[in-house]
Order: sequence, then C-alpha cells, then structure tokens
Amino acid sequence: MWRTNLRICTAGQSIATRRLLLVLLIAAGPTFAQIDLSGEWAGTFHEDLQHRGGVRLADYTGLPLNEAGWRKAQSWDEAARSTEERQCIPHVATYAFRGPATLRFTKVIDRVTGELQAYNLDGSYGRPRTIWMDGREHPSDLAPHTWAGFSTGTWERNTFVVETTHIKTGWLLRNGAPTSDMATMREYFTRYGNYLMVATFINDPVYLDEPFIRTTNFVESLLSNADVWGHCGPAQILDELGGRPKGSVPHYLPGQTDHVQEFVSKSGVPPEAARGGAATTYPEYMVKLANPSAMDNRLFPPPVPGKTLPRVASAQMDLTDDIRVLPVQGNVYLLAGAGGNIAVQIGEDGVLLVDTGMDTGAGKVTDKVMAAIRKLSDKPVRFILNTSADPDHMGGNERIAAAGSPAGGGRNGGNQGSGAMVVAHEAVLGAVSAPSGKQSAIPAGAWPTDTYSGDIKEVFFDGEAIQLFHPPAAHTDGDSMMFFRRSDVIATGDIFSTTGYPVIGKGGSINGVIAGLNRIIDITIPKDWQEGGTMVIPGHGRICDEADVVEYRDMVTIIRDRIQDLIRKGMTLEQVKAARPTLEYDPRYGSETGPWTTATFIEAVYRSLADKR
Amino acid sequence: MTRSLAATLLMLAVGVLATPQGKQAPPVPKTPKEAAPIDLTGNWVSVVTEDWRWRMLIPKKGDYTSVPLNPEGRKVADTWDPANLASDGCKAYGAAAIMRVPGRVYITWENDATLRIDTDAGRQTRLLDFDKSAKPPSARTWQGHSSAEWERITQPGGLGVSLQQGPGRPGALKVVTTDMKAGFLRRNGVPYSDDTMMTEYFDRLEAYGTDWMTVFTIVEDPRYLDQPFITSTHFKREPDRSKWMPQPCE
Repeated sequence: MWRTNLRICTAGQSIATRRLLLVLLIAAGPTFAQIDLSGEWAGTFHEDLQHRGGVRLADYTGLPLNEAGWRKAQSWDEAARSTEERQCIPHVATYAFRGPATLRFTKVIDRVTGELQAYNLDGSYGRPRTIWMDGREHPSDLAPHTWAGFSTGTWERNTFVVETTHIKTGWLLRNGAPTSDMATMREYFTRYGNYLMVATFINDPVYLDEPFIRTTNFVESLLSNADVWGHCGPAQILDELGGRPKGSVPHYLPGQTDHVQEFVSKSGVPPEAARGGAATTYPEYMVKLANPSAMDNRLFPPPVPGKTLPRVASAQMDLTDDIRVLPVQGNVYLLAGAGGNIAVQIGEDGVLLVDTGMDTGAGKVTDKVMAAIRKLSDKPVRFILNTSADPDHMGGNERIAAAGSPAGGGRNGGNQGSGAMVVAHEAVLGAVSAPSGKQSAIPAGAWPTDTYSGDIKEVFFDGEAIQLFHPPAAHTDGDSMMFFRRSDVIATGDIFSTTGYPVIGKGGSINGVIAGLNRIIDITIPKDWQEGGTMVIPGHGRICDEADVVEYRDMVTIIRDRIQDLIRKGMTLEQVKAARPTLEYDPRYGSETGPWTTATFIEAVYRSLADKR
Repeated sequence: MTRSLAATLLMLAVGVLATPQGKQAPPVPKTPKEAAPIDLTGNWVSVVTEDWRWRMLIPKKGDYTSVPLNPEGRKVADTWDPANLASDGCKAYGAAAIMRVPGRVYITWENDATLRIDTDAGRQTRLLDFDKSAKPPSARTWQGHSSAEWERITQPGGLGVSLQQGPGRPGALKVVTTDMKAGFLRRNGVPYSDDTMMTEYFDRLEAYGTDWMTVFTIVEDPRYLDQPFITSTHFKREPDRSKWMPQPCE
C-alpha cells in the first residue's frame, strides 16, 4: 500500500526520531498510488440537461429499458413521490450523480495505520456513501439494501473504480424509469486536470436490455459546498395528498396514456423511441427513425398474448446446505436456508424463535437449525411463535420444541408439556389438527400449545415486549406478525416476501394481504431518509426496512387495482390472464414452475376479488 | 538552515538515490505507439444514452439546451434555417462535434506517431499527431490540427511532495485540436467558431464484460461560448466493421 500522508512530527519528538521517521519513509519507497479526488465538485450540466432537472413523464429516450422496464415506467404516477412513505426518499445511488448539487469527496484515514481506508461521498441529494478501500468484502445477499448501496473501490491506472451492490429499488430518471433491487453498479472516477468524469455502468437484469452507461462531469469547485441535508424522518413528513385513502398507491392503469401522448406531442419523439430500449441507442436506429412506418408507434402496445417475461431473480434461497445466520438488530437474528425465514431472539431467559423452518425428514434441516442456534446461545429454546401453519415455517416445531424447556405454565395452565411453548393464532391449530377420529398430517408435537384469538397477543421475554398481530384473511386465516419492540424488528411471515408474489392460501385474500402490508408500514418507523429504523424479516428473502415493504405493497396494490379494473370491465379469468396484469413484475417476482406460479397468483387474486362482487 | 536539518536533507537525497525504484526507472519507449498505456485501436460504436433527442434527431431551430452559448452564439444559432439542412454539408461533422454524432469510429495507427480515427458518420478522418514539432497546415480544415500526448500524471515539485514522488501514473490520451473550420456543435446550427480550441481525453474502461472507450471533451470558443462546453461520450467496442455505415457529408 502506498503511503501518502506524511505525519507531522510533534514537538516532543527528538530530531533523531524525526530523521529516523523520514528515512523509514523513504525506505518504504515511493507511495503514489492514488490521485487525489477529495474536495468539492460541481456538476457541469452540459449534456442530458432535460433528463436531470424536470424530466418529463414518458421520456425514456436513450435508456436501454426492456419491456418490463418501460411498462413499469409508464405506470408510474409522479404523485407517488408525495405519499408519506416516499417524501423522505433521497436520490438513490443509481441516480444521485445526476442531481443538481455539488459533490464532496472526503478521505477517511485510519488513525492507527495512517492508511487511506475509504472515501466518503456526500451531496447531490444522495445519501452519504462510503467507498471502502480496505479490502473488505461485500455483505451477504441477505443483508439490507440502502439508497447508497455498499461500495468498494480500487485504483486502476488513473481511475478510481467502484463496485456497488445492495442498492434499494430505485430509478434511472425521476420519471419512473426503474431500477430493481438486483441492480449493481460499476463506476469509474477519472480526473482530467480540474475536471472529474464519472462513468457509471448499471447492470439490472430485471429492467434493462443491457448494462446502461452514462457519464457525468464535474469541475473542481473552490467556492461551493456540497449540499448535505440534515434530517428527514417521520417528523418532517406532511400530508401532501390530503384525502388520499389509506394505503392507496398512485399509478396509471395500463392503457392510460395521456402522459405519453403529451410527451410525444410536445417533443416530436416517436412513441416507440420514447419507450427506450437498447436498440434505440445505436446509430442504426436513425435509419428506423427516418422510416416511421417501420416503428410501433402505439402509445401503449398491449402485451403480446402468450409472451412471458422470464424470471431473472436468482433461485430462491429457501433451502440451502448451510443455515446462514445474520444479525438483524438488537437481540434478533435471522436464520435463513431452512425453508421459511426463522427469527431468533436471544437473551438471559433463553431463546425465542419465530418459526422453525421446514423439516425435510429425519430432522436433517432441523438439526442444522439447532446447531445454528447453539452458536448464538447455549440457553434453552423456550418459545416458538408461528407466523402461519405452513410446513416451511413450522416444520421444525416438533423437534425444536421437544429439545426446549418450558416457559412456565401460568395460572391458566398453558404449556403443560416439557418442551418449549408453541404459540400461534387459533386458526393455525385448526389447520394442523384433525377432526376427531381422523389422523392429522402434522404430528401433534408440532401443534401450537398455546393459541390466541382476536388480533393481538403479547409476550414478554428476554427483557423485551413482543407483540403478535393477526392480520385477518391475509396470506391465510391464521397469520401472525411478531414485533420485537425493543430490538425494533418485525418478523412478518409470508404476508411479505422478497422472493415472490404473495401466496394466498386457505382463508386468505388479496385485500387481506394488502391490509397486512399496510399494517407493517404502520408499525415500522424509518430512522432517517426512509431507511433503517424498524427492520423487517420477511417470510422469505433478505432483511428489509419500511421502504422495501412500501415497494412490495405498491406492487401488490397495483396488481390488485389492475385486476379489479379488468373484473369491472367484465373480463373472465382467462381474459384477465391474457391481459398480463403482472407483466413488468414477473422478472423479479414471477414463476413459471413450482407450487405458486404467476398464473396461480393471478387466479387467486381474481377469485379473491370476484368473490366480493 | 540548521546543521541537523542539513544532515536530514542529505540523508533524504541519499535515500532517494539509493532506493531501488531510482535504479529501475522504466526504459523510455521509442515511439508513442510503443508507449501507449492503453490500446484505443479497433472498432467502436457510440451508444447514445445521453442527449438522445439532440443527437439522434435534428433538434428544432433555437433549441440549444445545455450548450453555454453567449448572446452572439445564440444570435448565430437563431439564424439557422432548417430548410437549408442539405447545404450545411460537413458543418456538423467537424472535430468539435464529430465524436458526439451517432456513428462508428475505427481507430488505427497511421504510423508510429500518428493515431488515426475514421468515422462512418460524415466519413471524416482525424489524425492525432504525437510529433510536437509538427506544424498545423496552412489552411483550416473540418478536423483541424490535433496534437496528441499520452498523459502522465505527476506531482509538481517541492521538497514535501518530492519525498513521496513516484514515477507518475499513466493516464489518458490527451489531444488538443486547433485550426478547425467553423462548424456546428449540433445539427441545428449551434455554432462554434474558427477560434475554437478543443481538449479531449480518450480513455478505456471495462464493465460487465464489455470494453468501452470514453472521450471527455472540452470545447473553448471565446467567440460563441460563455464558458467551456464539457461533454463526455462513450463508445462500445465492436468485433469488426460489419455495421459500418459510411455516410458522406458534402
């Protein structure tokens, strides 16, 4: 590692010591690896100006959006930005450099070694980014995503190269042109004299035909300061959309094209080109532009019947060879890889679990779960709280409960057995038990030992209050979401997932799922800038916060609204399926195979809504 | 200067001379071609992800969005007549604009000291001359006279920085172009004058399995611009010239 900072000798050091330091410095060799980027940098704004300030709806020119990308973009209503859940969202890393303010690069020096450890990057309405240069690895794919993402940097020749992952669902332009939470970014920061060029490559298999590149230019600024914002949290939020029904999500239904018409009329850009796409960014597209009859200039081309957009999200990480353990917050940990997610709370009183994963026979998975728990705590498991009756969430109940210790019987005599107490909504017991004289598929040892009715149950354990909320008729009729009040973590069960569309099972409904998601949003409180604060463990997938739930709630609500609209128009189930109301979300959440396909989801939503008519 | 400080400086001098790096200075390359820290040769296509409406379409008269024209420049731009587009000839294909024109470029070494850029749009040829003694031609041309050098980033002097001074870092290809005919920065008559000087930095990047070339461009025109006009343009490597679409300007 080259050393660039010369320590100032203190008055107490002898001349000989100073000499020795200097000689050692020389002996270490020339240490000139980095070109200094620190300072303030002002944007030059000589290109793409109309994509940076006041970009128009439906202008996606030059963006390599795929079909899912432009369809999602066209459905975006700018009123969404004014909803309470989105007012504090800053510029996401995939866009932040396009913002109108000055950047500030600051060196982070390790005070012990004197090494350049990282750069901090502020300004331009983005969240502060730390670009680590100490060789650390990027976090697990189960770790939370943030607006700034997680960045590491290295030097290549004259250029600082930065890799960024773990970015929240965001945008390329502030007109709804989307990026997914699977997007990654590679940036090149190159100084040319007093200028800085940032070449940004965004790779998003969900919404882009091919990686997107853009270059943003800055000039060294001696007179300005980066606009680093203060706090923006719940206290700063206003009701900007007065009268909006709770949970409503502004969006355009497919075929609502006034905003598209307005852009193409004023700009002269043909509708096909306005939708973007990789093909439109190459010079040969000018030939097509000269021949409009060769273009599809409908404002909203309907989906091609039978055409699907395949899922590009990685395979679900539900069952893996190893159980992975991630700290979430406070006393709560995530165990992933056993089927459904397991939340573990540890403390002096023992271990409390939310769900126990899947038992694939002979207890192999459960043994791994127990081994993972033992790494966190040697105390006994005293509570198991089940989010539903799903076998991938309560499959390990029997073995883990049996290996646990009682939490105490209480005055009503609950938990008379010798193992851990198993708590669930009463509908879970109804689902797993069998009528008299019949044999249940679920062994009795896995059944809840303690149930509750109504919509709330309280537990206090390990010095922490835990609330169980029952959202009625959501994923099933027996769901519970567990809120750890001191750790500020909520485990949602299958009402919320980052790996697929919500599963609507026995007794569930789409409106119940949406109500459940809105309940989560009510409970969660972001720390600042719509991130952090209350953390969320979904039924499947990575650790989240409120913003991720909002994104998922919006998706489910938009699909519900579309199907509702099609039902109002008198469409049959087959016609609704042919209209492909989920199309732009399928690459991220859809599935063509397995027990819960996209078609199954649409059917469930349709029946759920049609039954209400 | 105290004796102790003088002794320290002497030690420093000895130390610098004694460092292995001092003895292992890289041999001076004989030609710019051999000295190239990056390979820019080959086929490149511009990928128009920025300023799309101003590059892929002909902007409307008077639309000089984001170009820092001064009042004189705006006055000239406002005189452009779209009816005479055909007679504009190569005005929009001069050196100050050509790298922004959607198209393909083919870069080769003309000789050991001259890098050559051929464009299919406008069928232009730029010669980037590493010979500092070369004189500009007597007559101005669309592509002007381009003087090239491999940038080497070094630290200016001073004892403090000398302590840390390394051999410098290889940088981009820096090209300064003068002696251009007046032309258009955009096809709708946004002007640059024959007083224009242009500085460019050509660089190479790689991302997600694809080679890219970036061109950072500073156009300075005291006659028509308020401030330097800064753009950066990116090109993706292509395997061959099969998509070459030569379109002459006349």
